[in-house]
Formats: sequence, structure tokens, C-alpha cells
Amino acid sequence: MNGIDVAGPQIAVLGAAGVILLVDALVPQQRRLLPFIALIGLAVSALWTISWVARDDYQTAFGGTLSLDHFSVFFYFLFAGITAMVVLASIDWVNREGRGQGEYYALVLTACSGLMFLSAGRDLITIFIALELSSIPQYVLAGWGKDVRSSEAGLKYLLLGAIASSLLLYGMALLYGVTGTTMLAEIGETIAWSGDANRSVLVVAMTLLIAGFGFKMAVVPFQMWVPDVYQGAPTPVAAYLSVGSKAAAFAVVTRIFFEALGARFLSDDWSNVFAVLAAVTMTVGNVMAIVQTDIKRMLGYSSIAQAGNFLVGLAAISVAGGEFTLGASGVLFFLAAYAFTNLGVFVAVIAISQKIGSDQIRDYAGMWKRSPFLSLGLAFCLVSLTGIPPTAGFWAKLYIFNAGIRADLTWLVVVGVLNSLVSAYYYWGVIRQLFTGASEDSTAIRTSPSIGLSLGVAAAGVFVFGILPMPLISAARDAAAIFAQH
Amino acid sequence: MLLLESAPHVPTIAEGILWAILASPIVAWALIVLYVRKLPKIAGWLTVAGVGTACALSFVTLFNVIDASGGIAIHTHEWFTAGNLTVHFGVRVDGLTAVMLVVVTSVSLLVQVYSHGYMAGDPGYGRYFAHMCLFTTSMLGLVLADNLFMMFMFWELVGLSSYLLIGFWFHKPSAAAAAKKAFIVTRVGDLGLLAGMLLIWSKTGTFQVDEIQKIASEGLVAHWVVTWFALGIFAGAAGKSAQFPLHVWLPDAMEGPTPVSALIHAATMVAAGVYLVARFFPVFEASGDARLVVAWIGGITALIAATIALVQTDFKRVLAYSTISQLGYMMLALGAFGYVAAIFHLFTHAFFKALLFLGSGSVNHATNTFDMRKMGGLRKQMPVTYWTFVIGSLSLAGIFPLAGFWSKDEILLAAWRESRGLWIIGFSVAFMTAAYMFRAIFLTFHGTYKGGEPVDHHDPDNHFHGDPAHPHESPWVMAGPLAVLAVPAIAAGWFNINGAFGDFILHALPETTEKGSEFAWGIAISSTLVALAGIFVAYAVYIREWVTSKTIREGFAPLAMVFERKYFLDNLYEDFFVRTVLQRGWNRLLELNDKYVVDGIVNGSASLAGSVSRRAGVVQNGQFQTYGLGFAAGVIVVVVAVFAAHPL
Repeated sequence: MNGIDVAGPQIAVLGAAGVILLVDALVPQQRRLLPFIALIGLAVSALWTISWVARDDYQTAFGGTLSLDHFSVFFYFLFAGITAMVVLASIDWVNREGRGQGEYYALVLTACSGLMFLSAGRDLITIFIALELSSIPQYVLAGWGKDVRSSEAGLKYLLLGAIASSLLLYGMALLYGVTGTTMLAEIGETIAWSGDANRSVLVVAMTLLIAGFGFKMAVVPFQMWVPDVYQGAPTPVAAYLSVGSKAAAFAVVTRIFFEALGARFLSDDWSNVFAVLAAVTMTVGNVMAIVQTDIKRMLGYSSIAQAGNFLVGLAAISVAGGEFTLGASGVLFFLAAYAFTNLGVFVAVIAISQKIGSDQIRDYAGMWKRSPFLSLGLAFCLVSLTGIPPTAGFWAKLYIFNAGIRADLTWLVVVGVLNSLVSAYYYWGVIRQLFTGASEDSTAIRTSPSIGLSLGVAAAGVFVFGILPMPLISAARDAAAIFAQH
Repeated sequence: MLLLESAPHVPTIAEGILWAILASPIVAWALIVLYVRKLPKIAGWLTVAGVGTACALSFVTLFNVIDASGGIAIHTHEWFTAGNLTVHFGVRVDGLTAVMLVVVTSVSLLVQVYSHGYMAGDPGYGRYFAHMCLFTTSMLGLVLADNLFMMFMFWELVGLSSYLLIGFWFHKPSAAAAAKKAFIVTRVGDLGLLAGMLLIWSKTGTFQVDEIQKIASEGLVAHWVVTWFALGIFAGAAGKSAQFPLHVWLPDAMEGPTPVSALIHAATMVAAGVYLVARFFPVFEASGDARLVVAWIGGITALIAATIALVQTDFKRVLAYSTISQLGYMMLALGAFGYVAAIFHLFTHAFFKALLFLGSGSVNHATNTFDMRKMGGLRKQMPVTYWTFVIGSLSLAGIFPLAGFWSKDEILLAAWRESRGLWIIGFSVAFMTAAYMFRAIFLTFHGTYKGGEPVDHHDPDNHFHGDPAHPHESPWVMAGPLAVLAVPAIAAGWFNINGAFGDFILHALPETTEKGSEFAWGIAISSTLVALAGIFVAYAVYIREWVTSKTIREGFAPLAMVFERKYFLDNLYEDFFVRTVLQRGWNRLLELNDKYVVDGIVNGSASLAGSVSRRAGVVQNGQFQTYGLGFAAGVIVVVVAVFAAHPL
């Protein structure tokens, strides 16, 4: 029973997925209830997590492979929130699409449970299974649209995902070969005990892990699928990929690298690798984003650039004064801030694109007159992506760049700040279109309640954490602190 | 009259009142943004209510600080911590803050009332007041902030609202260009401010104003840090306060609505730079070198701007260059240890310059133009505007006993003590100031009316009411604020006759080398005489026409050309830097990016823009393999790089 209790938040989500399939099959006339069932399942999941927080008695289950701790709790909340927003943002689109409504929500929830398992796994096999549990529904979702673009996106995502998974599995196998265990903590102990005798194998294993997860994180050079898939996949699914699976990948990388590969001789290597990848990733993402004319493609490159920012936090482990989780807590804070921000952007894009039937940035001209609410929400979230106060994105950048400076990565922070300036150029381009462009069509765009609610929540989150960042920062700091003893 | 009876002590004002000052305009802003589409008419009244509340509370604050004899109260809270980086969120109130609060809110209040009339009928009526509220809040935040970090945030918000208001009529290409120019030029200065802020934080670990002042004046940090920090602050201040060589944006900023020019580009925002330097005055004192830079840049700015103002034909641009010149005066004073003189001049200047700008708006309201060659003789039709404008001009020229006389006198005294060169600059600027202001008055209000600018009824953007051929006095919402502003333009200078104003704001500094102000007869008499001489020259040329302006222009042709072309600075910036260096460079960069980076990396992925058949066949025709290859190459490169950097 203990195991079921520990995995309760995931089970609630999966249960809701099952209920959705049943309702869809048995009472098809009640289809409009499906998203609400999904939201209820997510709410139960969050309540279950809250009950664990209230019990304050964190434990592991299934032979230590699944760990309920501050870190996984942070991500349980994050994923439940992200998925709820995606469900809300999907309602209009799914209704219009018509077919397979039950399957759609069930897949979204299944993927969510996979993301949650990913953040809690402390065993390589559990992690791998969780990764597949989250990925396979996403492959299907990416190809959900009726048009050929969506099919292409789904297929491309599937095939490249398969390559990434195989590289990952290979890396995990090497780790197992060197240490004889799949448990992260034991791997860490064995490596610390045996010293750098097996360094060459470990470096290869580490690189394969970076490649495998780098695919999900959208880190250069494993990012090439991102713009194609974001552009081709249904927009709510692209939103889900851009925040959900990216956050889960960063969560699991943080856990594996701190817990299993935390030995000094390895961490020096991977922090350098992450530093260089960070610089390359943000630069490639931003430089490519400048010339995009399609907003979804631009957001794809922007999400690559943001991944580069997150990597700064992973690279910043050599902070003076023993605070080597400062960077990791920065990553968590940034992920949460980014989730609100990027979801807000995508929700606005979903609503606008649906009405104007175009993803071209130039067609967003004069949107301010047609829908002040969508324009303001979108503009505010873009301001947060740029990293300008009073937004959550500002504090996130400040936090992570400060960690970089403290870890003697000043060169990387300079690159990061210059990149922020470049990113301001294309984010500002969209804002300028919204407010000053002239549009031929001036009919008002009405937002549905679900879109209004999700954009409102996202923008409110960006604003509230932009004014009062400390609660979220404390949560991120507590979550990252579980690695402090290693 | 202010009289400080006891030693300064901590003001008892409730922290909530200070936050309420900051909050009331932003509440008005939020209400306008949310509801203005339904009720555009209430936007103006909401603004007046919001700013009026802030104004009333500012006076409460001022009297409280006077009760405390100019003591300092700081209420600060931890806002954000990460490692050793701590950012506070707090308010600081002292004499300097209190004076600034009163100046900002009272001028803002009058300008908002005036705007009711001036902006009536404009389709952007609601948007205008929303921006005005945003501006007022940002300015108040800047003044209240107790740390550099918050100051910088509000500083940028001030810049943003200024950008929005200069480009308020953004469909006019000249307005859009002016807004962009202002934004970019001030960003250049802000880069310096940001660098200074990062420098001082990295060396001292704090953003708090009082701690920085203390560290600098007690020499707890290397001298070069103090100097470069001070220069960074001054770079930001030079951008915002339009100091040479970053002054070029301010004349163009006159493209905004005239009340905006009065509030932002004359009375408050442009004075923010002076405020910032004054706030960190102990740092400039400690540096010495930076202080001299401030003094001489201020002097050069005052001189250059005054000479350009002599040859302008646009009514508002005369005032714009005059503002730059007066801001240079304030900087000159700060650099010459004249902290009190500078703030005092900021204080008096805010009133009479706002008055002059609103007066020019009133004239525009009657004639539909700012071109002085199309005006003349308006004193009969517009008596209120005329007389208030004369009062403002006499005050600016520094004629006894108007406000400008007292503050200008203190500046010249400070300059005299610091260096004769600075005094000569200040002295000649005083002459030119009187001359160009009365030139403007004579051209606009005397002589015969030349018909104004006919209304172009085909221009959809033109919302001019009335008939420029028959000018008339403006309605009471516009004339009223003029009359009200005339009072401080006359009397604001009397506050420091016994040195009370000076003592009051001096307590805002931790310690000071400045002696209380005193009155020097020589300075006072000579500066008054030179101002009268300036007025007389204008009278001789434009009323009596003993010498025509044409003759003078021909006599000094090369000099006049330099003035008219604004010392060629716009040509240098726009033709050389912007067009040649930046635009070509940027285009070239984009081209290279397109050609090599984008085409190179993503050649294959153009499939989505290509034909359906290509899209369908994409998986077979190479690009997917490209991505897979990227994966493999990435893994190999990382492994090789790790071993190369850190061999076995």
C-alpha cells in the first residue's frame, strides 16, 4: 500500500485517463465533460501531493526506485499545473477537430504521469520506462492534426526520439557496466569509491546521457527537430512539449548528474560541457529566431535559446561557499517561471491563430485593436521571456546569471546577457506588430472562457512571481537542497 | 516659510502613505486600461483623481519631513535573495525626496487638468492618460526608491513611458522617428548606468543608496571604483537629462503632445538625471574627477544649447533648447559643489518651464502651428497666455524678484567659486537666455498676426477646432493651470532667501562640504544686468528693428550656420553612425546570418515551406538523416572535446 500512496499523484492522473476513455466510449453524448474529468484528475493529483507535503514524511517506494522528496514534489505541482493549462488551452481546438476527443485527453494525462515518474525516479530503469511513458503519447499527440505537416512532425519526432532513446539506453548500459547497479545513489557511491579509474567509459556514458536527454531539453546539436515539430504539431501539443517535456528532462538530468555523476572528477567535466553547450545553444537559438516569420517556428527557436539559459544553472556548480546547488535551484525556479510564461505565449498564439487562420507574425499586426486582452497577455509574457521586470522571467534570469557569476562563469554570463539583447529584438518585433501594426481586418476577436482562464492564470503567475518571487524561490531552493548532502 | 528649528530626526510619516503615493497613479492606470474602451471620457478624471491623491499625500509627506527638520526615513524589505545577491524593495524619504515628490505631483496634476482641454477630441484620449499615469508612477518610484536596483527599474519605466508619449501620434513618421531616437539615445546612457550599477555591486555587494554613499565618502572602496561608478551614473543622467553629447533626442521629442513636453521633457523626467547625480552627490564629491566632468559637461551643454536656441524658428524648439541649456546649468552647479543651487534651480525651473510649455501649447491651440514666423500680435487675443508667458520668461531670464533669479544666482555663485571659466560660461548663457526668450515673445505676441497655419480638413489626423485666422484665448481648463503655475514661477524662489530650503535638502546627504547659501551682491547685480541687456537686444532687433535680424545673421554667417545646423551633431549621429555604421553593418550581419547560418544549418528543413510532395517525401530525402547525423556528430564532438580539455 505504501507504494500506491507514494505513487498516488501519478495514479490519480492515470486513473483520470482511464475514466476519460470509459466515458468517451460508454456515454459519448457527454463528451464535453472530458476536459473537466482531466482537470479533476489533476486536482486530485495535486491534493494528493499536498497531503504528502502536509505529512512531511517523505519516503521512497518500490525498492527505492521511486522517491518522494522535495524535488519530486516541486515537479509534481509543476506538471499538474502545466497539464491543466494545456487541457484548458486544448478545449477549443479539440472540439473543432472533433475526432478522438477521449483519446486526446487520455494521452495528455498519460504523458503527464510519465513526466511525474521521471522527476521522481532514482533508478535508471525506472527513469527509462518513465521517459518512454511520457514520450510515446507525445509522439502520437504531435501527429494528431489532420494535415500532412502534423503527420510529418509526429513521424519526425518519433524517429528522432527513437535515436535519442537508444543513445540514452546505451549510456545507461555503460553506467551499469562500470558500477554494477542501476540505482542512482549506489552509482554515485561506487564512482566515488573507485575514483577515476573508469573515467574514459564514464565520460562516454555521460555524453550519451547528455545527448539522450539533450533531445528533450532541446540543446544544440540535439535540437534540430524542435522548429519543425513545433510548427507542424497542433499548437497545444507544441505548448506541452515546450514546457512539460523540457522541464522533465531538466529535472531528470539534474537528479542523475548530481546524484550519480556528482564525483568531482566527473562534475568538472560535465559542468564545462554544459557551459559550452549553454553558450552554443542560446546563441544558435537566438540567431535563428531573428529571421523567422512564422511565430510557432520562432517560438521553437526561442525555446532552444531558453534551454541554453537553463544550462547555465547546471554548469554553475562550483559556487564558492559550498552552495553548489545554487545553480540547480536557479534551474528549477527558471523552469517554473518559464512554464507560466511560455504557456501564456502559446495560449495567446492558439487563440489568435485559430481566429486569423495564420501563424505568420506579420498577420498579428494591429491585434491590439481586435483583442486587447490577448495582445496584452501575449506582450506581457514576451516581456517576461526577454527578462525584463516586473516579470518572473526577469528574476529567473537574474538568479541564474548570478549563480553563473558566483561559479566563475563570467564569460558565459556575458554571452547570456548579449543573447538576451538579441532575443529582445525578435520578441519586441512581435510586440510592435501587436500594438502599432495596421490590420485590414478589424473585427474583434472573442476569447472563449477556457482560453481566457488559462491566459489569465499564466499572465497572473508571471506577474505575481514577478512582484513576489521569494515563495517560488524558496520552494526551488528546498527542492534543490536534497542534493546538498552529496 | 520654511524654518527648521531643531536638529533633523527621523520623519514619523507612515510607510503606507509613501506606498500610497506610488500606488494611486498606477491604480488610475489600471482602471483606464481595463475600462477605457467602455468609458473613454472618464480617463481624464481618473488621472486627475489618481495624481491628485498622490499630490495631496506628497504635501503631507513634505510637511512631515519639515517637521522632522529634513531627517531621513528608510523603510526597506528584502525582495529577492540568491546566494549573496540581495535586492531590497523599499522607500526612502528625506528633504530631497519630499521636494521632488511635490514638484512631480503638482506639475503633473496641473498638466493633467490642462490636457483635458488640449487633448479633447483626440482619438487616443484614453491611451494618452494611461501613459501619463504610467509616467507619473514611474517618476514617483524613481524618487522614492531607496536602492539603485529599484531606481534603475523605474528609470527604465520612465524611459518607456517617455518613448510611448513622444510617439503618441505614431502614425506621423516624424513622431515615430523621434520616439525611436529618444529611446535609443537614452539607452546609450543607460548602458553606462547599468555598468556603474554592476560595478558598485560587484565591489561592495549592495545596492542601497545610503550604504553606497557611506562607502564612497569614507573611502572604503578603491578610488577608481568610485570614479567609474560616478561616471556610469552620470552617463545615465546625461542621457535622460539631455547633456552633451546625448542631448540630441530632446528637441525631436517635441513631436509629442505639448502637455507631455511640459511635464516630461521640461519639468520632471529630464530633471531625473539631475536628481540622480544629486542623490549620489557624496560619490561625486569623493571622486573629484567625476565631479569636474559633470561641471564641464554641464557648462558645455548650457552654452551649446543656448546658442542653438537663438536661431530656432519653432516656438517649442526654442523652449526645448532652453530646457537643455538650463539642465546644463544644473549639472554645472552640481559639479561645482552647488548641490543646493542645482536642486533649487530644478525646483524653480520645473514651474516656470512647465508654464512656458503650456503657454506654447495654448498658442498652438489658437494658431494650429508652432512656427513663430506665422504668428505675431497675439497679446491682444490671448491676454492670459501672454502675461503668464512673460512672467515665465522673466523668471527664466533671472529678473529680480522672480523665482529664476534666486536659483540662477546661486548657480553663478557656485560657478564663480569653482572656476572663472565656468562662471564666464554661465554668465554668457544668462545673456543668451534672456535674448532668445524675448525674441520668442516679440515674434509671437507682438507685431502683427500672420495668420497661423490653415486647417487641413483633408488630414484625418487633424482634430483642430476653431479658426486659426481668428485666434482666441484658450478655454479655462487650459488657461487656469497657466495662471496657477504663474504663482510659483514668481514666488518659488523666496523659499531659500534665508537658506531654509538649502538646509532642508542638505540633510538628505550623510555629510556635506557645502556651506549654506549666501547672497553675493556682485553676482546678483551683474547677472541681472546681463539679463536686462539680453532683453534689450531682443527689443532692439525685433521691436525697434534698429538692426534687423537679417543683418546680424549675415554678419555672423558662419557662426549662424553652425548654430542652425546644431553643431552638425545630428549629421554625425544619423548620417554617419546610424546610416553608415549601424544600418549597413546590421543589414550585412542579417545577410550573413541568412546566407551562412540559416541556410547552412536548416537547408533541409525548408521542407515545411515547400511543396506538399516535398513535405510528404521529406523523411526519405535526406533531412531526417541530417538530423541523425547531427546527433552522432554532437556525441563525438563532446567526447573528443572533454578528453582534449582534460586528458586521461
